[in-house]
Amino acid sequence: MRERMENALRKSDAEYAEIRLEEVTSSWVAFRGDELDSVGSCRNVGGIARALVRGGWGYATFNDLNDLETRVAEACESARIVGKEASSFAEVEPVVDATKAVLKKDFRAVSLSQKKSVVEDYNRIVLRKHDRIQTSDVGYSDSFRKVWYANTEGTYIEDERPDVTVRISATARDGDNVQRGFESAAGASGFQVAEGLHEKAENAAGRAVELLSAPSVKGGKYTVIVNPRLAGVFAHEAFGHLSEADFVHENDRMKDLMTLGKKFGPDLLDIIDDGSLPGRRGTHKYDDEGVKTRENYLIKDGVLVGRLHSRETAAKMGERPTGNARAVSYPFQPVVRMTNTYVDKGESRFDDMIADVKLGLYAVDMVGGQTSMEMFTFSAAYGYMIRNGAVAELVRDVVLTGNVFETLHNIDMLGDEVEWPSAGGGCGKGAQSPLPVGFGGPYVRIRNVVVGGR
Amino acid sequence: MIAGKLVEKAMARAEGAQASFVRTESSNIAFENDKLKSARSSQTTHLAVRVVLDGKIGSCSTTDSNDIDGVVAGAVEAAEFGSPAHFQFPGPREAQNVEVYDDAVPPVTREEMVVVCQEMLELIKGFNSEILVSASAGKSRSQVEFANSAGVGFTTETTSFGGGVSGVWVRGTDILWAGHGHSSKKRELDHLALSRKAVDLFRMAQNIAPVQSGEMPVVFSPEGMHVLLLSLRMGVNGKNVVLGASPLRGKLGQQIADAKFSVTDNPLIEYAAASSKYDAEGVPRQVTPIIRNGVLENFLYDLDAAGRASAQTTGHGIGCSPTNLVIGEGDTPYKQMIKDTKEGLLVHSVMGLGQGNPISGEFSVNVQLGYKIHDGEITGRVKDVMLAGNTYDALRNVEAVGDKAEWVGGALLAPPIKIGALSVVSD
Repeated sequence: MRERMENALRKSDAEYAEIRLEEVTSSWVAFRGDELDSVGSCRNVGGIARALVRGGWGYATFNDLNDLETRVAEACESARIVGKEASSFAEVEPVVDATKAVLKKDFRAVSLSQKKSVVEDYNRIVLRKHDRIQTSDVGYSDSFRKVWYANTEGTYIEDERPDVTVRISATARDGDNVQRGFESAAGASGFQVAEGLHEKAENAAGRAVELLSAPSVKGGKYTVIVNPRLAGVFAHEAFGHLSEADFVHENDRMKDLMTLGKKFGPDLLDIIDDGSLPGRRGTHKYDDEGVKTRENYLIKDGVLVGRLHSRETAAKMGERPTGNARAVSYPFQPVVRMTNTYVDKGESRFDDMIADVKLGLYAVDMVGGQTSMEMFTFSAAYGYMIRNGAVAELVRDVVLTGNVFETLHNIDMLGDEVEWPSAGGGCGKGAQSPLPVGFGGPYVRIRNVVVGGR
Repeated sequence: MIAGKLVEKAMARAEGAQASFVRTESSNIAFENDKLKSARSSQTTHLAVRVVLDGKIGSCSTTDSNDIDGVVAGAVEAAEFGSPAHFQFPGPREAQNVEVYDDAVPPVTREEMVVVCQEMLELIKGFNSEILVSASAGKSRSQVEFANSAGVGFTTETTSFGGGVSGVWVRGTDILWAGHGHSSKKRELDHLALSRKAVDLFRMAQNIAPVQSGEMPVVFSPEGMHVLLLSLRMGVNGKNVVLGASPLRGKLGQQIADAKFSVTDNPLIEYAAASSKYDAEGVPRQVTPIIRNGVLENFLYDLDAAGRASAQTTGHGIGCSPTNLVIGEGDTPYKQMIKDTKEGLLVHSVMGLGQGNPISGEFSVNVQLGYKIHDGEITGRVKDVMLAGNTYDALRNVEAVGDKAEWVGGALLAPPIKIGALSVVSD
């Protein structure tokens, strides 16, 4: 493959060009209710050629790998139409490397019927948990992505990106009241990620039933404590996206807002993105421009100290590339993305965090989040009211919102341990979704959080 | 025909089969931060096979158009312990024609698309040069082959053309995003209208207006209607109905919304983004009234869900999802709707939609782009505001429906709608 790619790249007359090819094999099994809903597999092959000419990019994407030279030529021609100014593209050392996935249990050697039987167990647990359980949505999916990357600077990388995901969703019903309990597990280390999730199945079903009788949270402003499984999403939405330099590098006003050294939070706050952490969902040795991933502090002691870059944004801003140019799959160009983002630990214990809260909200587990850079939301699977220093009744429909220029300052306590939930899903940006990312954090206490509700 | 060959191969083992082969060529142009940034060309191929073997379904797909044997073998393997089939592949049926191919699309040059983007960009810069603008335009052409073992076989060609423009306006720590886009199956696109719409959104947002927490009437712009439609889409999905996950199960024929509210699924609108003659199971598309004058009339079914529900497929295969949704027009002019509102919100787009428990109808979202209405006038943009309610309660509390529907994106045709009261929490 290397020779074919390098031969094709020799035809490039652009300042820079690259080819990224992928072969992805995946399979899935899904139950809904007591019946198997779908079983299948797919094998996708494809690639993208990308060329840079005078600051303009040309992309050619394809499924047929037989004519790479033509695709490179197309990308170069497209780039020439676009380019009008000097290119900015940070220098990096060329690298030749091949990384092999390390799988404890190789899911490619596991038969579809075994995959089925694992989730069938979880599905049975969900459906038998309670007579209020109406239906289920329990699925297994895996993919094994082999990536070949070569550029005109001599970099050649082969990478393997396995992923296994299980989602367990229970639906409980009482008349018109329909509630859902959800759990998931995901990871790159093999089929065992999907095994032994019986307790999660119990929990999902139990929660769906409990939520039937829980009230919606009453809207208002509360002191909120988020659990570690929600803290990572908070870090991701509240600050992670704003630190992606492609939102900043050509916008002078954003540059003023995001000047390094500016205070964004209290002294106790550190937020870090690190694509080199072993075994996390957003971990890779190299990003999709062949740049080595690393630890990047975004906020240290409450101060903005760094941001996430592609080679282009790094050059434009006169900063170092950070290994954050990622593409969700072959038809897409790499863009600046997070990898594994987390709030670092503090020194507090949960009991101390709730002790002086008269009326507050304990928000538990993530459903998701969204940001428009300044304002953001993050949604909890469920929550409990905090009354007079103690965890009180269960509440549902818990969605929190914040403003990046205020909310981080309102963090006043951090738990003493960072946790990394094994959850599925991923991050979306533009048309590229879902990109596997890691979320981590400790318990986080935030004052004056606006919580939606009736 | 490759789809026919796939079915033939599959039938050596299976008792029923369907297959599709899709080839697409597309090209697009993108401006970022006021400048031409990239040009893309794409070629894709996709083969998919679904078989029924001993009454069980298996599926497999690939982008490798040479791998006919592999994809058939994959589907057969999956079917050996697949999900039970509640249907039989249907034979050929008369289908109503709908225009989905425009000869004017394939010849569009990249230079023309650059001009489309440039003109959209300049219009917004003309309003305010501080707004950094991104714009894109793209075209595509697809050929779809479909065949099944009951004798259905056809090839359709479709085109699509679309454009979009958006801007970010940063003032102090205030970051404002707004934009507008449209795509359809024909070349005709009023791209300047997209920009004018975006400019209106920016113009109304020049001031920030404070909001008091509480219950208040909310006008959803056509774009904002997505907030109310998400739960409804899930609720009328035939599979959710069969499984009992939909709160609408058992409510056909009942009044579930205000009599002013009607919504129809219409895949037969000429050149609309989600229009087609057949669904992905080779079933002719048809117009399906979902809610008429507040009464729930139909759920959306594919072959399998219809089989389980002892109903007929409505041509929503595979997956029971809507095509083009059309919300019936009412008799209140948009301006009157605003004028009649003493204190309320106009909601255009939100964040966090679908992240709670949408099938229940509950929503709790941040108003990403919305406006305060005070004494019948729009007084500015609202910020750090959460909007919460229940879709089904809201649809029973429709105060007014706009007299003019607009396209949103390309597969939703909706007028603005005013809901009597929803809960608003502000900072």
